[in-house]
Amino acid sequence: MEFRRCKWFFRHAAAGLTVLCLLAAGPSGAATDDEALGMKLAKQAVRGDKHWTTVDHSRIEILNQEFTSGDQITRTCLTCHTDASMQFKETIHWTWKVPSEKEGIMNGKAGHAVNNFCISGNAMEDKGCLSCHAGWDGTDGEVNCLSCHGAKKFPFKETFADLAAFEGDDDPDIQEIVNELHTGIRQAVQNITLPQRSNCGECHFKGGGGDGVKHGDLDTSLAKPNRMLDVHMAAEGADFSCTRCHTTVKHHIAGRLYTRPAAAERKSLIEDDMASKITCESCHSATPHNANTKMNDHTDKVACQSCHIPEYARVNPTKMSWDWTTAGRLKDGKPFDEKGDLGKPVYKSIKGTFTWAKNVVPEYYWYNGSFENIGIKDEIDPQQVVEVSHPLGTPDDPNARIHPFKIHTGKQPYDKVNKQLVAPLLSGPKGFWTTFDMDEAITLGNQTLDVPYSGEFDYVETTYAFPITHMVAPAEESLECIYCHTRDTSRLAGITGIYMPGRDKFAIVDTIGLIAVLGALAGVTLHGLGRFFTRNGREE
Amino acid sequence: MIKKMLIFFTLTLFTFGPVFAALADDGPDGNHRKGKYTYRKVIQACHETGGVDSPTPTVSPADMTRAEWKQVFENRNFEAFGCQAQWDALSDQDILDIYAYFYEFAKDSPSPATCG
Repeated sequence: MEFRRCKWFFRHAAAGLTVLCLLAAGPSGAATDDEALGMKLAKQAVRGDKHWTTVDHSRIEILNQEFTSGDQITRTCLTCHTDASMQFKETIHWTWKVPSEKEGIMNGKAGHAVNNFCISGNAMEDKGCLSCHAGWDGTDGEVNCLSCHGAKKFPFKETFADLAAFEGDDDPDIQEIVNELHTGIRQAVQNITLPQRSNCGECHFKGGGGDGVKHGDLDTSLAKPNRMLDVHMAAEGADFSCTRCHTTVKHHIAGRLYTRPAAAERKSLIEDDMASKITCESCHSATPHNANTKMNDHTDKVACQSCHIPEYARVNPTKMSWDWTTAGRLKDGKPFDEKGDLGKPVYKSIKGTFTWAKNVVPEYYWYNGSFENIGIKDEIDPQQVVEVSHPLGTPDDPNARIHPFKIHTGKQPYDKVNKQLVAPLLSGPKGFWTTFDMDEAITLGNQTLDVPYSGEFDYVETTYAFPITHMVAPAEESLECIYCHTRDTSRLAGITGIYMPGRDKFAIVDTIGLIAVLGALAGVTLHGLGRFFTRNGREE
Repeated sequence: MIKKMLIFFTLTLFTFGPVFAALADDGPDGNHRKGKYTYRKVIQACHETGGVDSPTPTVSPADMTRAEWKQVFENRNFEAFGCQAQWDALSDQDILDIYAYFYEFAKDSPSPATCG
């Protein structure tokens, strides 16, 4: 009797265990055969070398002349590329401003926008900013086509000035120099390319006054990155230029975010081949991970960038704070700089005190693609930290995802009476950088924007957010579950309004559960003991 | 008579005054624009003979003050640039042009400039 029961038990136990083992091994076995959908689509997109070039500009006759000005170069380009200048002048890369959703307010450096770096462009009267404008001479004259389309950097302004000075000189040495200069100009003009990373980076890597100051995920380390820094732009790998994702339509370049998201919809190119390539989904689809993994369930709430960019500023440091209150100190009556640990300036008389950091962990916020920006005309509450630019989004917004950001903190001047941020004029003979008089700089600066100034200023703490979307790390470096789904040191400690397993707990449920388990154990033990000790005389 | 003398004197003053004023300028009398390119050519030639590592200039006018450059060029002390022999072979006018370039953009000039 006993023996038969034992055999029955062991056979069923063995069968059960076998089934369990197969179940455990099953899913992982299947996944190693299939490649993740996202990888498969991405590999198709970069398969083979595509050559879109159909012209060698050195063979174009009209480009073989002696150029004496930038405008002349552009007019020559326009003899074939008839609409280029017209198109470009309608875009934000030329106008530097765009209507905001508030009436009469323009976003953008030439508009009412304010930041906590150099604060304001002062309606482009602050000439210091203009070196990045895509024209030959500030806002006047023609578009400088070569700033984006020139393969070789060339000192045009200096060369044209020298040529003008050498005009009419019959010294044979000078004639030789003039010929060499013209050859140099011609070579630069004929060396034309679709914009490369170094073209865009000339301005976008160095915004805010130097390399890596502003964005955190855009600096000169991306000119020739390796795969560990950015898998898409890896010089020895996919080697994407900026325009691969920041596609253009009539010179309107995708990717601008002020009040509207960069892309209206998240679609992959297999759903719609005319969709914008600016979102990750367009090449990787919305379920890019191995099938049946939990990660595919995250893509509707967590942005790709959150897990795939674990830290930013991984090679060059980025500026994390800028305190204007200390600006203006002089040594022997002259402005001075002080360098810090990372080889970057930590104090400049003209600007104040800075801090820098490398390998920075981002801050995470809900983000639906739009920002809220405070401009020169907006009222602020100086008792709080003013969020000059912050991302918009809520947990119940279907377009919102948890997204990483760089938050730059600062202390900048504001109008104590009108309770608004102010825009001091910085460069030029009357700017703060020459006079070190903040009150005068604010008076002049606010005048450029037609904004009244009460004459009394003080400093307020501000923050400014940049979305982190470049410097995508290889898949093996992406964040693991434990970085967020953990009780105490979660990267998403600041995200409220949702329940995250591992990070959150319901104390009541846990207590009930504990009571149930311990209670069951106690009950079984007591029952068993009870039965043992009260055998009622039955001996077997 | 007095009137004629006065006119003659004024004319002399107005003719020679500006000449003296120009000569009173401290700086060298070279063509600084030409000097910039001559300098680059010398460095290029020097690099080709292995005298310096870089084909483009590493020493800039903004590195030193006008007084310091005056010492360098008046004493023809070109150690900092390398290829002393090639510098010695330059004509006086070339040296003057290069000096004018360094003077124009020295550290204490209104517009200090770096090369490259």
